[in-house]
Amino acid sequence: MISALKIGRSIIKAFGYLTGYYNLLCYFIKNISLLGRAPIRSVLYKQLYFTGIEALSKVAAIGILIGIVIITQVINIAGANAVLIGKILIWTVVRELGPLLAAIIIIARSGTAISSELGSMKVNNEADSLRIMGIDPVDYLLVPRIAGITISVFILTFYFQITAVAGGLAFTSVFKGLPFLQNIKGIFSALGLFEVVVSLAKSLVFGLLISTVSCYQGFSVEASITEIPQAATRAVMQSLFLVFIFDGIITLISFA
Amino acid sequence: MIRLENITTEDFNDLSFRIQEGSVHKIITNSDYENKRLLNVILGLERPEHGRVFLFDKEVYSLSEEELNRIFVRTGTVLKDGGLISNLKVWENIVLPVWYHSGKKPTDVEEKAVQRLRDAGMDISHLEEMMGELPGPLPVHEKRLLGFVRSALMDPDLMIYDSVFEGLSPEMSERFIKLTEKFHSEKTGRTSVYITPDEQSVKGIKEDGILRL
Repeated sequence: MISALKIGRSIIKAFGYLTGYYNLLCYFIKNISLLGRAPIRSVLYKQLYFTGIEALSKVAAIGILIGIVIITQVINIAGANAVLIGKILIWTVVRELGPLLAAIIIIARSGTAISSELGSMKVNNEADSLRIMGIDPVDYLLVPRIAGITISVFILTFYFQITAVAGGLAFTSVFKGLPFLQNIKGIFSALGLFEVVVSLAKSLVFGLLISTVSCYQGFSVEASITEIPQAATRAVMQSLFLVFIFDGIITLISFA
Repeated sequence: MIRLENITTEDFNDLSFRIQEGSVHKIITNSDYENKRLLNVILGLERPEHGRVFLFDKEVYSLSEEELNRIFVRTGTVLKDGGLISNLKVWENIVLPVWYHSGKKPTDVEEKAVQRLRDAGMDISHLEEMMGELPGPLPVHEKRLLGFVRSALMDPDLMIYDSVFEGLSPEMSERFIKLTEKFHSEKTGRTSVYITPDEQSVKGIKEDGILRL
């Protein structure tokens, strides 16, 4: 009986969160033109810097390492087959790992940061300060953050894919003696426009999910400082969960 | 300018008062908590259980977000903690409302902002140093002054001061009071309201009316 009640409460809570995310996302889409206002645009630029530019080196390092690992495994199993290496790199890095790993890096770096930052602003009554200056805190704090994170995930995904493929191929050329140009040809023979479009669509969806969940959770903090780490944890776990669910859905629709 | 009709909350029972346009009023509350509650009720942040609040003859709790924002543009509020935004630099904090509402470039109001801060007794080298920093580590009296300058740049018709002289040294308090009195006289019809539980801290202000809750 008690566990049935608990399950019921959890379902109601989850439904409440999903409704909140949906409403915030709709608000963002409806008010995206606010990014044309200089003060809001300046928040967007800052977010792009913190989430996009500052993460470039980490994304590049992880991308290169993933590329090396995948190509090394392929060579161990199937030998130095340029066409196969190209196909496997496209299947793994472009279709799946690129959008997924870029999203996970952003969740770890920026999802927690944004939910904590917004949570502490709420606890310190800074949202009310904005309100009494006639500035809607959702317009000023959330809209540019959602845009900034979404654009960052989109760009970082592309960047991750390039560094993973190029880094992996460069490594095998230098250390395994495979001709670089031959491998590049293998990549291009396996790469279609459809793969690229699906991958970038995934990154856009992931960006919107991560930013909406993180902003919503951070902004739902009320008055107590102990709510901040709880909100950050919820932001990370729910972002991860939703990213994996939508990854599965998009992959099934696109490639099944 | 401000009218409260039969306000009932946890702390207030059937509270009513009216503050005329162009006047200087003090409202003495019983505690910090009551102070905050009253301020929130006046500014439309906390709906009372019963009663109506009017700002500029408009009923606050019946206004749309947009209409309420227009009221806030005409109202400057200096909060006890300064009300600064922690992730904006001091300079960005000061110019935010002007930049947001009037579209003026931050550089357009630089001279005015610096003059106000110098009037408040801040020296230019300290100002230069402070402007590019985040406001977190600043002493509270500087945060309040910055909050005042931020509101003053909007040239509001109504100024509300929330316990801003509490805990200041007598010299600092006197200088700040003079600053607010000078600001009040700069615009015809401007209303100034000082809300505080510490009557002693607003003793030096010449008022048109005083209300003790």
